[in-house]
Amino acid sequence: MSTAYGRQSGSAVEAGDTPAPPPHGWHAWIASPAIRTVALTTASLLIGFCTWQLLSTFVFNPFLIPPPLDVLRTAIPMLASGEIASDVTISMVRVLVGFTTGSLAGVIIGVLLGRVRLLHDLLDPIIELLRYLSPTAMIPIAVIWFGIGELSKYFLIFWGTFFIVLINTTAGVWRAPVARQRAAACLGATQLQIFVLVVVPSAVPYIVTGMRVAMASSFMSIIPAEILAANSGIGYLLQQSSLLLQTNRIFVALLTICVLGFIVDRIFRLVVDKVLARYMSFVSQT
Amino acid sequence: MLRVTNVRKVFESVRGNYVALDGVSLTVKDGEFVCLLGPSGCGKSTLLNILAGFEPVSGGSVTFGEAPITGPGRERVMFFQDAGSALLPWLSVEENIRFGLRVRKIPKAEWAGITDRYLEMVGLDAHRGKFPAELSGGMRQRLQIARGLAVEPNVLLMDEPFAALDALTRRRMHKVLLDIWQRIGKTVVFVTHDIAEAISLADRIAVMSVGPGSVITRVIEPDLPRPRDLADAKVARLFGEIEDLLTPDLIRLDERLEAH
Repeated sequence: MSTAYGRQSGSAVEAGDTPAPPPHGWHAWIASPAIRTVALTTASLLIGFCTWQLLSTFVFNPFLIPPPLDVLRTAIPMLASGEIASDVTISMVRVLVGFTTGSLAGVIIGVLLGRVRLLHDLLDPIIELLRYLSPTAMIPIAVIWFGIGELSKYFLIFWGTFFIVLINTTAGVWRAPVARQRAAACLGATQLQIFVLVVVPSAVPYIVTGMRVAMASSFMSIIPAEILAANSGIGYLLQQSSLLLQTNRIFVALLTICVLGFIVDRIFRLVVDKVLARYMSFVSQT
Repeated sequence: MLRVTNVRKVFESVRGNYVALDGVSLTVKDGEFVCLLGPSGCGKSTLLNILAGFEPVSGGSVTFGEAPITGPGRERVMFFQDAGSALLPWLSVEENIRFGLRVRKIPKAEWAGITDRYLEMVGLDAHRGKFPAELSGGMRQRLQIARGLAVEPNVLLMDEPFAALDALTRRRMHKVLLDIWQRIGKTVVFVTHDIAEAISLADRIAVMSVGPGSVITRVIEPDLPRPRDLADAKVARLFGEIEDLLTPDLIRLDERLEAH
């Protein structure tokens, strides 16, 4: 089934596997959307790389903005020694634990709030207030509650994920088409069957959207959490490098975050495509 | 037999009450094809929702057989205009039909036979593996019809099911529906605002007045053989007659909208 997600990641996969250009001329070459994407992405990265190299060599102070070749030179031993891998693993485990528990709680409570009007009306004002407390704002109290070990990081990521997934899930449950529920009732479905077999699956596109946003937010919250209260992880690497004025290492850490976020989002989309594709259709027009 | 007696329906809201139906009475015999015809806002869909059991009446009564209608019941199935939202988009054509059989607790051994029969009846057997998003509007509507028929209700309640289809597809769907109806002999209550549609389908046409306080102003019996050709003189005369009946209402509706 073709869905918004399917199309996007489908073309991304194609783009990676595309062989050499077909032999009939420049126009046919640029007309293939997959090749065009690869070409433009490569061009974009190359232009960025060269501009950065030139600017930091001739315009800016190379100590403040180290040129990309220097950054690469710093990165290679860090990669070879496993230093980056170990920090990445630590940060990723924190994100995954917090994100998984937060999503699970968000979906379960979101589904309940979407269905039980009284519960929603009772809890909504509190949620509306609490959701403005970003994970970063919660770092100081999380450290007092849970220390600087893993638990405080799990809590902070959970906190950030929970509200985003909760609000999206509730909205999705609410927007399950009335006609779909009534049609199921006519066929003979019980209230419980309508809820489990019709309403919740109808909410899946909203839940997945919420989870994707929450995943991005988790990546943004783990860094300050590790900068302020940790002794491992990418955020800690950033903070230590800053204390020692090692701008090269700071840039290695920053690039790691960019690449990691990109890869995780692609994996997320791929999983959604494989597992949930049939639920991802927003189509309802006749 | 479906019996609507002196039904009144009031919608309450903070801005005040709206009397949608005010004393509607109608009897539909078993196996009969009745069209509820009227302009938008005449309460015909409200009446259909009451028959389906989605909305309670504010006064009067609706009964099926001897029993009062108090909620959705397995003997009455509603068909919605927007088939895309009534179907389950994550299930294939075949799975959508099986969904009805499953919730109705029909023994699993019979599923394959029933699915085949009704998919064939609506001409979708070649598309059983497709998803609703991959079907045209007319095919989705046929799937909705097959899914409803597969649970073998006594009454089909149809809420402008073909209104969103293009003219050619709509005519084809009329033929499909009439063929099925003549074959299985179920009761049909069909809501439409299209005079030609009502004439080509119905045993009886209940013409409704514009709200508030809609009533059935007249029941017309087009006692003509099917298929009914609009070019036929008798059919054309009937069309004109119904048009004349609806026009004063439409003018009043226009005036009221302009006054607002």
